[in-house]
Amino acid sequence: MEFTLLFLAIAIVMVVAWWGPRPLALGLFAVVLLACVATYLHHATDTLKLSF
Amino acid sequence: MTRSSAITLNALGLYAVAMVLAVAFGAQLLLHELPCPLCLLQRIQFTVLAIGPVMNIRWGPRPSHYALSLLAAVAGAVVSSRQVLLHIMPGDAGYGTALFGYHYYTLALLAFIAAIVLLAAMLLFDRQFDEDRATQVGAAGAFAMSAVWLVIGLTALNVVSTLLECGFAACADNPLVYELLKR
Repeated sequence: MEFTLLFLAIAIVMVVAWWGPRPLALGLFAVVLLACVATYLHHATDTLKLSF
Repeated sequence: MTRSSAITLNALGLYAVAMVLAVAFGAQLLLHELPCPLCLLQRIQFTVLAIGPVMNIRWGPRPSHYALSLLAAVAGAVVSSRQVLLHIMPGDAGYGTALFGYHYYTLALLAFIAAIVLLAAMLLFDRQFDEDRATQVGAAGAFAMSAVWLVIGLTALNVVSTLLECGFAACADNPLVYELLKR
């Protein structure tokens, strides 16, 4: 579900970047990037099985 | 490099991102391989990477727009590196079908590194930032506008595809069926 929301949020940021005010697009970009990092950290809890 | 050349190169960058997203869709639909959570996150970083070029085409080239794409490319490289490390053990067959001998996440890592290098190279050309911004803002040609709407369309398709795959719950680690299409 979180990935669907991220894709939706990015599509909205793209539309705002194209049609809306620039400061709003930059602000929304920051929110989306932070959400992406948070999603990555949430999913990065598995142990890495390294060969060394 | 002139302002219009930079905008053309940004449009080409958008077409490159669109190609990556289309190939990923092709693998998903033709090979019936559903993207895993990390695979989806890499697709997401490719779409985030496209926001910088969209703004460059709309508002004219600015260093801050390239910075947005650099941040997205670094984040994408981190995600794809993690997936490469998850399958680095000898004997591990990797996740999904290999394309040209490389799995999607390995190709994604190479693409993100290439994006970082190309974005840094674009920042070397100062003349694109010098011209009067008021003259050409929003005056993108059909080539650039098509690139923008192609990427927005592919991102919207990913909204639908991911909703079908994951449904309204967390995505499966190894998805085999579309959750919303299960009978």
